Parts: sequence; C-alpha cells; structure tokens
Amino acid sequence: MTHETATSLPVHTGHRHDAHAHAHVGGVKPPTHRNLGLTPSWHIGALAAAAAAALALGVWSMTQVDPLLIGGAGLIGVLPPAYFVALGLSLAAFVGSLSLRRLVPVLLTWQLLVTVVILAGADPIIHGLPRLEASFRHLGIADTIAQSGQLDPTLDAYFDWPGFFSMLGMFSGATGVKDLFGIATWAPMGINFLLLAPLLALARRLTANPRQAWAAVWIFYLASWIGQDYLSPQAHSFVLLLTLVACLLSVFGGWAWPTERTRFSRWLTRNVRKLDSSVPGYGAVEPIPTDTAVLVVVCGLFLLAMTASHQLSPFAVIPILAALLLTGHLRLRFLPVLAVVLPVGWLLFAASTFLAGHFGQLIGSIGDIGANSVGALSTRVSGSDAHVLVVYTRIAEVALVWILAVAGAIVGYRRKVPWLAAAAAALAPLVLIPLQPYGGELLLRLYLFSLPFAVCLAVLPLMSESNSGLNVRRALGLLLMGAVLATATVVSRYGNDGMESFNNDEIALVNRLYSTAPTGAVLIEAVRNTPWRYQHYADYDYRALLAAEPIPNAAPLSCDAANQIAHKAGAYLIVTESQREAAELRGSTPVGDLQRFTATCATSPGWTKIYENAGGVIFHIKGVSNGN
Amino acid sequence: MATERSYVSYATATVALAAIPLSFVGPEGLRLAVIGLLMLAGPGTALVLLLRFAPPRSAHAAGALPLSIAIAIAFSLTMSTLVATAMIYARLWSPPAGVCILSIMTLAFLGVELKRPQRALVRAK
Repeated sequence: MTHETATSLPVHTGHRHDAHAHAHVGGVKPPTHRNLGLTPSWHIGALAAAAAAALALGVWSMTQVDPLLIGGAGLIGVLPPAYFVALGLSLAAFVGSLSLRRLVPVLLTWQLLVTVVILAGADPIIHGLPRLEASFRHLGIADTIAQSGQLDPTLDAYFDWPGFFSMLGMFSGATGVKDLFGIATWAPMGINFLLLAPLLALARRLTANPRQAWAAVWIFYLASWIGQDYLSPQAHSFVLLLTLVACLLSVFGGWAWPTERTRFSRWLTRNVRKLDSSVPGYGAVEPIPTDTAVLVVVCGLFLLAMTASHQLSPFAVIPILAALLLTGHLRLRFLPVLAVVLPVGWLLFAASTFLAGHFGQLIGSIGDIGANSVGALSTRVSGSDAHVLVVYTRIAEVALVWILAVAGAIVGYRRKVPWLAAAAAALAPLVLIPLQPYGGELLLRLYLFSLPFAVCLAVLPLMSESNSGLNVRRALGLLLMGAVLATATVVSRYGNDGMESFNNDEIALVNRLYSTAPTGAVLIEAVRNTPWRYQHYADYDYRALLAAEPIPNAAPLSCDAANQIAHKAGAYLIVTESQREAAELRGSTPVGDLQRFTATCATSPGWTKIYENAGGVIFHIKGVSNGN
Repeated sequence: MATERSYVSYATATVALAAIPLSFVGPEGLRLAVIGLLMLAGPGTALVLLLRFAPPRSAHAAGALPLSIAIAIAFSLTMSTLVATAMIYARLWSPPAGVCILSIMTLAFLGVELKRPQRALVRAK
C-alpha cells in the first residue's frame, strides 16, 4: 500500500531540490519534514511499536484471566488493569496515526488488527474453545454433511439453507480434518480480519476523505458488540453483503434512469440533490465494459451464495439496495429485483419443507411491529441484576452510535459532504421490523446490518471535513469517544461470557455422553445451553427441558419433566455448569434451582449417575420398556 | 506493481496446483493451509488479477486495493459455497472434486489473464 495523500500537501518529493535552492537564494528556511508535508519515519515507527506493545500486553493480560471467576457481569469483572492499558494504548496509537500529516495505510491496518485481537481475542486466548453453543451445532451440521453428502431438512431449518455448511463440509472432507474446533475458536478474530477490506472499501465510498473512512472502520470495530462474528452463516453472509454493497457503490454508482425522464424521477432527483448535493470524490473505479459485465455477474453470485446460506441476510440486502437505488447510488435497477426473486424463490422451492412447517408462524408475525421491536427488547431486560446492567449497557451503546449517526447526518447536510447514501442504507434494514421477530434477535441483527453505514455518519461530528491531520481537540474527542465505545463493547460483547463460553470439562462430559449412549437414544439437556451436537448431529434424539430464555416467576424444575421424556425408552440427562450459568443469568429458573434439581433427582427411582466431573453430571433415566 | 502482480499470480497458481493432489492425500497441516487458502482467496484473487481495477502504476491502483481484496475473498467464498451446495443438491458429493473444480477455475482465470491484451485496462477517477 502507498501513503494516502492529503490534497493540501505537496505530492512530489521532487520539490525538495527546488526548496533547497530557494533556501540558499532567498534565505528561506531549509526543507524539513514539516514544511514538506512528510512524516518523520520515527513517528511511524513509534506508533507501530506502540501497537505492538499494546498487542503483547493485551494478549498477556488475557492469559492471566481465570475463566472460573467469570460472574454475571461477564468478562469485565475479571480482566486485569493491564488489559485496559493495552486497549487504551492501541486506541491512542490509532488516533495518533490518524493525526499524522499523511496517512500510512500499512500502519493503520496494523493498528486496526491489533485492536481486533484485543477486543475479539478472548475466545482463543482465554477460553481456548469456540464461543456459543451454536458454534458447536454448526460444526455438527457441517460434519453431518461432510460424512453423508446429503441434506435432511426434517432435522431442522439449517438444512434448508445449507450453503455455508456445505462449504465447511467440503473443507473438512477435502482436508481430512474432522475436528474444526480450532477454526471455530479463532473464527471471531479471523472474521473481523476478513471484514477489514470490505469495510474500508465501503467507507471510502460513503465518506468525504480517506481519513474519515479509516476512522469509520475503527469505530465499527469498537462498536460491534453483537458477537455474530463466530463460525456462522450470518458472519459468512455479512462478509458477502458488505463486499456486494462496496462493489456496487464503487463500480455501479449513479442514477439507474435518466433523471429528467418522468415527473417522479425529476422530483426524486431534485429532492435528493437538495438533501445531499455532494459528489463522492474518491474510491470509484470504472472498469472497461467487459470487466463491468463480469462484475455484474459476480454481484449476482454474491446474492445467490447469500441466499443459499442464510435466511435473513438476503432479505436485509433488499431494502439496502432499494435505498441506494432511490438515492442515485446504484445504476443497476434489475439488481434489487434479483435480490427479491432469489430469496423468495429459494423459500418456495429449496426451503419448501421449512415453509410448509412454519407458514403460520411466518405469516402470523407480519405487521406486529410492537412484538418484533419493543416486545423483543423488553424480554431481554431481565435476569440477574448484573445481567440487566449488561443489557442496559448494550442499549446505551446502540443509542450512542445512533445519536452520533444522526448528528453526523446533520453535520453532513450542513457541510455539504456525502451523507445521504450512508443514512439511507443505515435506516433501510429497519423496514424488516414489521416482517419477522427472527427468534427475538431481529433488533440485534438490524444493528449489525446498519452499523457499517451508521459509523460513516458517526465520524462526521468527530472529524474535520478536510483531509489534513486532526488537531489536538478533535484527536482527544475521537480518542475519548473510542475509549467509551471500546469499554462499553467489552461489557456488552462479553456480558454473557459465563453462559456463552465453555471449558474442557464440559467437552469431556459431552464426549463421555456420546461414548456411553447408544445411537438413537434420547439425550436431554436440562437447559438449552450445552456444547454438544458437534458430532452425531443426526444420530440422537436431542431434547431440552428448558430454553435459556427469561421466564417471569420461573417455576422450579421437576424430575417429572425428564421422567416424561424418558418414559418410553429411557434417556440420558446432562446438566452442565454453563446450563446453570445460563439459567441464572437469563432468569429461566430460580437461583440455585439447577443444583437442587440435580441433588433431588439423583435419588429418584430409575435415575443412575453415569459420570460426573467439574463441568457437570450425566444421568441415565430408565424407561418403562427397561422395567421402570 | 507489475512485478507484484506476477508474484501474486505465481503464488495463486502454486496454491491452485498444490491443492489438487492435497485434496486427496497429504499431511493434514499442509492440506489445511493450502486448501484453506484456496477456498478463502484462490478463485477471487485470480478474478481480480483478471479484472484490473486501475492502471498498474496509478495512485488509484493502490486506492482500489481494499475493494480488490474484498472481492478476492468474497468471490472465493462464494464459489466455494456454490460449488459445495451444487454438489449436495446434485447428489454428487465429493469434497476433493469440489476443491479440484475451484483449482481449475483459478487456473483458468489466471490463463485468461495471461492471454489478455495489456492495453485492456480501466479508467479510474
């Protein structure tokens, strides 16, 4: 990468000789780094070294964490002060680099990667295992596909959108690596690395200059607390979605129709220009017609791969493309149509099993804006006091980003710099609210889809409109905002760490369950939060007594619930530490109920303790056919 | 820049060629690295080399780098996804064959790039 130049600075170093000559003739000061607009190399070296020091300190501080001490507030309670020093150092180094007279992309890239390691590195460094029980399920689906080469849509909806899992299965099958735990563990860091290029390409088209683009990407990483960067179809589709939009804005910008053709197009053009008369000044490319045609096909393939992999992302693309089309930033008018046809066609033909089984559910939630938004949000504000604090931190962080984005839109309008495309694309995913609750997760996903666009607005109040270096006041403001967002993200991203992370004892427990239970047996988890199904996904009948969801005035668990499931042919029950954490954190059971349940049921007739370790316990429950 | 492009072309071709035998047999670590790299960046890198977003020595060539990298990765993931999904639905599941298809696709793009007239560049602003 080369240095990105400020427009106000001399570009050619050939001026050196002229300046030198003038110095002798007219008594002008001899050329220095400052008056040539160059950055002394020791500044760059010092900032790179600061990032390296932050990386070393951050990694070391995370190795000092004892995962067993993680409580209801998550990771923030056990991180040593050195971690925050490392985080602060990495943030200060980035702002320092952003304040240089010339941007040094290699330096900024290095500093962003360091920040990603510090913020997203907890899973591999502290826990050494994948985050979220869904990660384990995803490994199991890929394993099933790799082994059988077939789909079984009757198992669950994942098999109706098999793109991502097929790819993972092909990788596993072709490399001969059956255990993808390592890949899943490092995925959050790796996926954030993969996001850097599309984020930067996108931000370059939505901001006024490269300095703002780098700052926007930085704020994205600092405010991205959702945790959807694990090994998942969502993360895979998000990479494709960002690249698609970046490619469209860079290559296919402009109006899709003659602006004077109809009354509507004249009205639209006039109003768009009234709101945002700026012309994106950089980041565009104009390939030759053959290459442009190839890129149209590539964009269509991105949509197809997303459609085959994920239920929600293709539907989020539709309003984003429509918003870009209506603001004069997308000249491929057929693409939004294709974006509608592909996921709807997939739902009707490839995912017909899912559609038949969930038609009422899909239709029933349409138009229920309250339940899909405020209702879904209010159910999350529950659980233990520490957890409620984490939830409020999340809400506050989202609010802060949106307040900054709104302020940025106003600043952009007043300064006459690009803002409308970012604002339209940030707001566009919100049109999905009336359509689907998406298992109560819709608002989280919408924040994820909006964030790359919202951060391009959020930087506007924090930075000047020129591409020259930041002054001290703005640099301090940016650093302060970065520190607030990063600290909030440590709380919000890792607030559920007690239930979302697992340990080797729990994995040993699950392995013991698989080696004990015969194929086809009923396996029960007390609370739905077990790191299992990473193998034998289709070989057992998996059940749960309770979902890890908030239950107002939750009743104690009874042995009868498990006995009823085991009534016919017997079953194996697994109770783990992470289940206990999940139940107490989310308020699914009364505090201490899972220990009571385990102690009480252990003495029930027909219950036999098979195995126990620090991670939990396995029981076998006899069924009627076994003589109970 | 032209030299860098040729280095990238050679590296991509090496990965694509090595992935073919490694998808059938080889040390696990090497298979993981080579096939992982191919699925993550192989076909996309070859495509981006073919497309040429900007004249090689222009400032815009560096400016288009984030977009080039993004497309290289996203297109590779896309093709890996679509090839694997097509094999599943066609009931022709064979992971090594899927990797071979990706390798051949990568080599084909590189071959076309080699034959492409040097003047076929772009206008960048």
